Amino acid sequence: MPTVVIHRGDKTFEGEVNENTNLVVKAGIRQFPYPNLRYGCGMGKCARCACRVLKGAEHLPEPNWKEKKQLGDERLNEGFRLICQIWLFHDIELDQPTMPLARVPADKTDGNPPATE
Amino acid sequence: MSELMNHVDFRAALEEAIKGKSANKAPFSIAWASGKLSRPHLARWAENHYHYVGPFADYLAYIYARMPERYTEAKDFLLANMYEEEIGGDRHTDLLIRFAESCGTTRERIVDPDNMSPTTRGLQSWCYSVAMREDPIVAVAGLVVGLESQVPSIYRKQTPTLRDKYKFTDEEVEFFDLHIVSDEIHGERGYQIVLEHANTVELQQRCLKICEIGAQMRLLYTTALYWDYVSKDIPIEELEAIERKAA
Repeated sequence: MPTVVIHRGDKTFEGEVNENTNLVVKAGIRQFPYPNLRYGCGMGKCARCACRVLKGAEHLPEPNWKEKKQLGDERLNEGFRLICQIWLFHDIELDQPTMPLARVPADKTDGNPPATE
Repeated sequence: MSELMNHVDFRAALEEAIKGKSANKAPFSIAWASGKLSRPHLARWAENHYHYVGPFADYLAYIYARMPERYTEAKDFLLANMYEEEIGGDRHTDLLIRFAESCGTTRERIVDPDNMSPTTRGLQSWCYSVAMREDPIVAVAGLVVGLESQVPSIYRKQTPTLRDKYKFTDEEVEFFDLHIVSDEIHGERGYQIVLEHANTVELQQRCLKICEIGAQMRLLYTTALYWDYVSKDIPIEELEAIERKAA
């Protein structure tokens, strides 16, 4: 079973999940990592769930079109991913900023509203 | 006389009630999965599907209003579900319309109720009837567990086909992508509500029955789509042969 570690500010949360787990789905049904993973639309539009992957990135698939659109090259290069778009099969360690990411400039997105706390 | 089931047995019974009449077996679904449909066929699907899923927040609103005040978590779930359908991100029906437009139809045609088949009207009416008249826990079982929770498995199968065989772009098929996450949450939380609050033999049995009926209604709807729009182009024997080969 994959082990998930989430850092948020000065707190760390750890738990195990089944293979092929989406952490936003798990939080949505009130199981770990609820209530310690911030998320929003669950459809790759708001970026509220964005986290920087500290460990385990090598096991993840390439960012999909929504992640590319919403995060842009700069944040993807910094290691950010949209957690609602990822199904886990391996251990992972994430850092979620205490505030949601600011919006990527309009010319790099599809014009959706910015993520807010 | 049935006995009160524990949560594990009751969940297994609900899953079994749904599985018995899975819409995946309908000829329209087989044609879809095997890449046989044309864009006009998919346009007709979207014009019908809009009138089934479009009022989903309305269905839930009726259940919400009748859900006992003391079931706070259940009420909050229904409210969140409505919000997510309509204004949490993109409106889900707008994404359906985007897909439909890429199949060659128009927003005007999609929202026009005259373009749904009588069977679709029957499914929509059944959903309203369940939401307005059934015990609210039974209604959650019928609409959320029985219908909405089926969606991830259906779309998980259909979405790669839309990209690979029908050559739709990622943006055009976003309607199907988003449901894989949101309906998984909604379906699972629906299960949690039903497992917790269907706490008598009678309520459990009514939940099982309505899941069975919901699956039948969805199968009826999907089957009618084939006979109304596709059968003249793709003979049933051809689809039966595909199904036999896959079995």
